Amino acid sequence: MMYFGERSITRKTTSTLVTSSLKPIVKAALASAMVVGSATAADPVTVVSWGGSYGAAQDAALFNDASANTGIEINRESGASMSKTCLQVESGSVSWDLVVTGSGGGAAAAAKGCLEKIDFDVVDVSDFYPNLYTDYCVGSDVFATVMAWNTDKYGEPGSDGAPKTWADFFDVEKFPGTRAYRANNVDGALEPALMADGVPPEEVYDVLSTKEGMQRAINKIRELKPNIAVFWESGAQQAQLMKDAEVDMSTGWNGRFDNAKKDGATVGYSFDQALLDYDCFAIPKGAPNKDTAMKFLAEVSKPEYQANLPFHITYGPTNQKAYELTTAPKELIESLPSHPNNVPLMLPVSLDWYAQNRETALELYIEMLSE
Amino acid sequence: MNESSIVDSALPISIRGLTKQYGQLYALDTVDLDIKSGEFLTLLGPSGSGKTTLLMAIAGFNRPDAGSIRFGDKEMILTPPHKREVGMVFQSYALFPHMSVAENIAYPLKLRRVNKSERRERVNKALDTVQLSGLGERHIDQLSGGQRQRVALARAFVFEPRILLMDEPLSALDKKLRERMQIELKDLHRQLGVTTVYVTHDQREALTMSDRIAVIDNGQLMQVDAPQVIYNQPSNAFVADFIGESTMIPLKRTGNELFVGDERVSSVPDTPAETDWSLVIRPERLMVEPGTADRDSTLFFNGTVKESVFQGETALLLVVLDDGTEVSVRSSTGTATPGITANPGSQVQLAIFRRDIIVVPTGNSQR
Amino acid sequence: MSKTSAETVVENNQTGNQFPAVSDDNRVALAEQEKREQWKLLSLTFPALVVIALVILIPVGWLFYLSFIGKAGGFSLENYQKMIEYKSYARTFTTTFQVSFLTTLICILLGYPLAYFLAQLPGRWVGFFMLAVLLPFWTSLLVRTYAWLVLLQRKGIINDFAINMGLWESPIKLVHNMTGTLIGMAHIMLPFLVLPLYNAMKKIDRDMMHAASNLGASPARAFWTVYMPLSLPGMVAGSLIVFVLCLGFYVTPAVLGGGRVIMVSTQITAILENQFNWGAASALGVVLLIATLLVLFIAGRVLKLDAALFGKS
Repeated sequence: MMYFGERSITRKTTSTLVTSSLKPIVKAALASAMVVGSATAADPVTVVSWGGSYGAAQDAALFNDASANTGIEINRESGASMSKTCLQVESGSVSWDLVVTGSGGGAAAAAKGCLEKIDFDVVDVSDFYPNLYTDYCVGSDVFATVMAWNTDKYGEPGSDGAPKTWADFFDVEKFPGTRAYRANNVDGALEPALMADGVPPEEVYDVLSTKEGMQRAINKIRELKPNIAVFWESGAQQAQLMKDAEVDMSTGWNGRFDNAKKDGATVGYSFDQALLDYDCFAIPKGAPNKDTAMKFLAEVSKPEYQANLPFHITYGPTNQKAYELTTAPKELIESLPSHPNNVPLMLPVSLDWYAQNRETALELYIEMLSE
Repeated sequence: MNESSIVDSALPISIRGLTKQYGQLYALDTVDLDIKSGEFLTLLGPSGSGKTTLLMAIAGFNRPDAGSIRFGDKEMILTPPHKREVGMVFQSYALFPHMSVAENIAYPLKLRRVNKSERRERVNKALDTVQLSGLGERHIDQLSGGQRQRVALARAFVFEPRILLMDEPLSALDKKLRERMQIELKDLHRQLGVTTVYVTHDQREALTMSDRIAVIDNGQLMQVDAPQVIYNQPSNAFVADFIGESTMIPLKRTGNELFVGDERVSSVPDTPAETDWSLVIRPERLMVEPGTADRDSTLFFNGTVKESVFQGETALLLVVLDDGTEVSVRSSTGTATPGITANPGSQVQLAIFRRDIIVVPTGNSQR
Repeated sequence: MSKTSAETVVENNQTGNQFPAVSDDNRVALAEQEKREQWKLLSLTFPALVVIALVILIPVGWLFYLSFIGKAGGFSLENYQKMIEYKSYARTFTTTFQVSFLTTLICILLGYPLAYFLAQLPGRWVGFFMLAVLLPFWTSLLVRTYAWLVLLQRKGIINDFAINMGLWESPIKLVHNMTGTLIGMAHIMLPFLVLPLYNAMKKIDRDMMHAASNLGASPARAFWTVYMPLSLPGMVAGSLIVFVLCLGFYVTPAVLGGGRVIMVSTQITAILENQFNWGAASALGVVLLIATLLVLFIAGRVLKLDAALFGKS
């Protein structure tokens, strides 16, 4: 099953995507929210996200304002991980209240019983895209796993001679140079290889559902391995590798590359054949401030906050209303992965496939890496 | 010492103008010293006098600033220590803890590529010589202090060096063992016949063992002579004071004559006129209440007993002379000599034979 | 001795006759006192024993237990079977031991002359140079590791400099591989080798080398036959510390290895992060622990051999 209803985005957002400046309205909305939230201030809520530009973007767009407006104090921590969340839950010493996770990790943690059920009476998801939340995880942003390259070396995206598809990424004769690829984690690692090997995007997960199919993808990566200079471990590393020109082409998350570009890196990417995925917020089972965390989650899920996110990182909102409220310029909005122009270019990640095959795929992937 | 038997197994050492300066301080100040072939010479001096520096220079462990060291006819001053072919016994013994007794002793032989069977033979012979037969397989930490000393000795002579250096080798031993080892070392020296340079700060040890003693102070040689000469005829106040017990009484000079009180002691020896002179009195040379004695051959002092101390085989009497000088008198407590019964406060007469009188210059050289 | 004390002795001798030759008086009480003191001494170690139990035994026991728990929840050997099924596990173990061994070797090659230099320095300089050696201890591991990245990467300081100077034409791959990992690891581990080695060297009497050369050994010969064997205990101790610390290293190989140098710790993390599979991760931990103990045991045997050769020292 495809988790992501791409048609729904197309239908519901086109009319409202380009909006004029609505800042005064947002401000008024925020002010009213403040009155509602401030009554229940208790222990600080521990909010855990990731490092680098991702966490910083969430601070600027979501957490700081939401905290100020509700009066809910927060402890910001980095190093969010579902395995650590599960460890806390299983050892009965939960210290985290609200944790960011990839959609797949969130689903796996939920299956292991590590997460609280979201109280949809508190968290209003009525304006969310239907496939960007589950019973245990509320979507925070939409991102894409793309291929990025040094534009000094291969040209600006869309220009003649610039790489276009995964086949180009894997073709070191046509595009000589070094590559970076994912390390020690199979998420988003096999799909590009299969597409490069000629499998049409819509058949990728069918092919990958057999061990032979996985092996086919792995063989393709093994072929490229001599030219993979670095296997990256984090989003921050993707950005750093491109900034330092340590590699010429890398897989990675679109927002990280945009921020690297803002920092002066000569990097470009395309959404062609990219993998469409989302991040979400989860509450660990037995979180010490579960109720307050739920309220805080409700606050940051409001469109007026998500509307600010694109200013800080080019990840799309999960709340459709954010598109109506955002004051972001047209070009910025069109650069978001969830923009209707972009969605059809991409392959939505299949949570089902990961739920069933992640473990075997990871073993095979690490086996190849360890060679 | 039997000089004829040792000619080919020993080398003379000739040191000229040896100088070593540490900052402003002279550790060695233009030292000239000839050590005869087969001789047992002791470098004696207080700590910091330069005696060890001199020994280390001979061994090649420190680099003098100037001078010459010859072994026989060969200039050695630039020769690195491992090519000097001198045996050395260190104060710390410096035995290799990772080797057995036999391995320690075989070490210099191995370096000289002595073959295995000869090596074993010579190691055993050396162990016999130092009376450690059968202890070859022991580890160093299983040995007593005296045994370690003997191993160090065996290792130093097993390769038949023609010069043997010893740096206070007995200082870590207790008194009884030390005295026994002094005799054994002397014995060994006689057996081996090598030229031996021995460093000690213990004057008794030096007197016991040496053919000659070189007294050293502030990097300068004060006197080099046989033990008896050093003791009986010290050539300066330092040697007189450093060797043996002594009381020093400044002498008054009238013309060419030296006086203590009204008593004439001697004529001024043939040295520069401006130097002061002192009388050196050894406590054991003083006689108490000598009764009638020949004034020509004897010098008399009168004084008051301050303290009388019984010390076993001898007794010590502290006497304040009439001119205020305090002298000590040592006498045997044996039955052959009259016991000292003087109580504190009583008057005594002391006497010394003129032939036992030592007169030393105390001018510029006085410390 | 004064007169009065001499008299006291005499008196005691006289009254001493009243006591029997062998006395049982207080024998039991004295024995009890000794026992009490021994218990007191033992009780001092009690906090340490508790800490060891809490911090080491219980977690390790838990680790063992978990490693035999399968995904279904019951007892299972599946976590160990998986290690045989996939070749990656044998390879990461090989890599781990290879990296540890090479790092130790580099540390010895760099650390031995360094420790020797320090041991020869006059006292007032030792403090300064020791500070230089220890300085890395006070810098965060991550900072040091990233500093190497800045130096070694493709457009890093070293490659830039060398290309500008014409030393080489195109960038040399110094990092994101085994080379970079070893450089970073050796840098971090060096003090762990130098400290015990320096201590051992400091204990070597100067006279030892003098004696060797006096007996006819050239400086090189004296070094190999005397100095080296005497410094060996310190070197073995330092090497063991370095080797064992390397086995569990995570950050540096992850950052400088470029994903190519996969250590056991890396794989444990991957399994935890992606599968939340405590059992599989525990099994890896158990195997690493046993392998480490095995190395220590073998080294212990070799050390005992050394002890026999060197005597008690």
